[in-house]
Amino acid sequence: MATSASTCSNPDCKVATDGKCVETYPLEECPHYGRPAVADIEPVDEQPEDSRPAVNIEPPVIALSLGEALGRAEASALQRRRASRAIGVVGPHFAGKTSLMASVYEILQEGVVAGYSFAGSSTLIGFEMICHDARAASKRPEPHTERTTVGADATFFHLDLGIGEPATIASLFIGDRSGEDYLTTADELSNAAGFFELKRADVVTILVNGEHLADAKRRHEVKASTPQLIDALVEAGSISARQRVALVLTKKDAVAASAHAERVVADFDEMVAGVVRRHGNLVTDVVPFVVAASPRIANAVKRGEGVSDLVAYWMQPVAAETPPPTQVLQMTRMIDRVVIDTEDDA
Amino acid sequence: MTVETDVSVVGLPGSGKTTFLAALWHMVREDGAVTALQFDSMRKGNFEHLNTLAKRWREGSIQERTQQSGMKRVAMKLKDGAGNSTEISFPDVPGEEFSRMWEKREVDQTTAATLGAKGIVLLINGDRIQLPAWIVERNAVAAGMGLPPGDDEIVEWSADLAPTQVQVVELLQMLMSDELNVGPRRLAVLLSAWDRAEGERLTPEGLLAAKLPLLEQYLRNGRDPWTWRVWGLSAQGGIYEDPDQKQHFDDTDRLRDLARPSDRIKVVSGAYVSTDITAPIEWLVS
Repeated sequence: MATSASTCSNPDCKVATDGKCVETYPLEECPHYGRPAVADIEPVDEQPEDSRPAVNIEPPVIALSLGEALGRAEASALQRRRASRAIGVVGPHFAGKTSLMASVYEILQEGVVAGYSFAGSSTLIGFEMICHDARAASKRPEPHTERTTVGADATFFHLDLGIGEPATIASLFIGDRSGEDYLTTADELSNAAGFFELKRADVVTILVNGEHLADAKRRHEVKASTPQLIDALVEAGSISARQRVALVLTKKDAVAASAHAERVVADFDEMVAGVVRRHGNLVTDVVPFVVAASPRIANAVKRGEGVSDLVAYWMQPVAAETPPPTQVLQMTRMIDRVVIDTEDDA
Repeated sequence: MTVETDVSVVGLPGSGKTTFLAALWHMVREDGAVTALQFDSMRKGNFEHLNTLAKRWREGSIQERTQQSGMKRVAMKLKDGAGNSTEISFPDVPGEEFSRMWEKREVDQTTAATLGAKGIVLLINGDRIQLPAWIVERNAVAAGMGLPPGDDEIVEWSADLAPTQVQVVELLQMLMSDELNVGPRRLAVLLSAWDRAEGERLTPEGLLAAKLPLLEQYLRNGRDPWTWRVWGLSAQGGIYEDPDQKQHFDDTDRLRDLARPSDRIKVVSGAYVSTDITAPIEWLVS
């Protein structure tokens, strides 16, 4: 209701009719003049509950699995579902650890890998995240890989892989931890205490950066630090008797493109021989591989080259499934692989 | 006796779910159509939504986005060749709900309630399969064409950038997850827009293996208990017009010129081609 200057909130006042304040104030000083009388205030209807405007209530939501790399407990729970292979991947940063894990998944996007085909994964979002920066959708000028966070607990990428008809399915769990964290073991053995992903691994995969091995300034550091890291992991108990070891020369494309390809391979062969000499009587076997998980130049080598052989090695039956295999050291000369394969591709 | 059966129709946005329902409803009601499942009766239910869809389909107009019209549940009472009657209920769920499951990792309970059927129709637009592509290959192609390196702004990762097959595999894995699992299910994979995809000269099985190998591997390995088959489906036969855009295409006129609207439909199973859009449903509920 509109109020006017001729009204008064005092019900005894007749100012509206006689123009005088009942309390004898000059009108401009009266505290009641101009305010509505209580009787004149329109009652406000109490709104019944059911006539109130409807509130748009979203239906309850069911949370689904995040699909990211798994924590230790999640991986353990999944491992109990079926036969599994746990893989530890150790390498300094830029050795190509994330590219290697992404490469396995990317090969499956196009077909089988080493006769194994995709049967499922609990970490599709995790894989998509690590693949993104090498894909055209990122609009990056060249492939890029995010570094794994230093100091963070290891996580696991998961793939269920089938082989045969009907398929026999086994789970593959690939551990992911920052390369810098592993390297600290060479400084202080106790730093290896938390590397649960290595202790539970069926295959410990040690990456040797082929690009760095081809670089004159970094070559000797790679040759020295890799065996020292392995020695430390063995002494700390992170690599133990029942395990197999894959020594992987990464970035085959960079090696093949360098002027020192033969020297790189000779250095790598020497490192492998040293590991076999020192630890061959401890671990189940030591097998070398050469891979190009995410080459930077198309056509130099095939994307994912060598990864199939590594996956086949990872997926070999573990001791509990078949009689323990006789120790076989596949010491074929890497020089032949790098040079001959490159010539073939050309 | 009438058996009541639920069939869930799932697929990413633009996969052709609503067009499939429109063509199916027209087909079972078209006089003289030869189909595995036939229209039984209208004794129960409201057919306004289905009739609206079928009307647009017949006139050659694209369907209104389900996201705008909202989720609808439709039911058809159909009978097989032996006279057994089945009431089949199809929720018409917007594709955005399935994208949300992939991107947001959640599903609202209303949508979840529509996903409990033992029979699933999965539609994948065979003409819009997004494959992974790599920077190295892109750069090589650009260099081969003499193009300078691109200087586009870098795109950060987001879930919607994932290849089609990854999103579809995850959708199927979710349907078998603890949250939505109802046990073994049948799955009819329909590769829609087959009129555009058939230029590849592949069978539906061949296209699945060639363009969606991750999905094909997942299904073939049988880790999750899907009993599955794949069809190629052209539910329109060609391009339809958007009335809101006042579009007009000669190709749509040619479809309208066909003697019977059902002649626009093509259903491909292996080397066998028919117009029977009920065949996948008949297989699902049999």
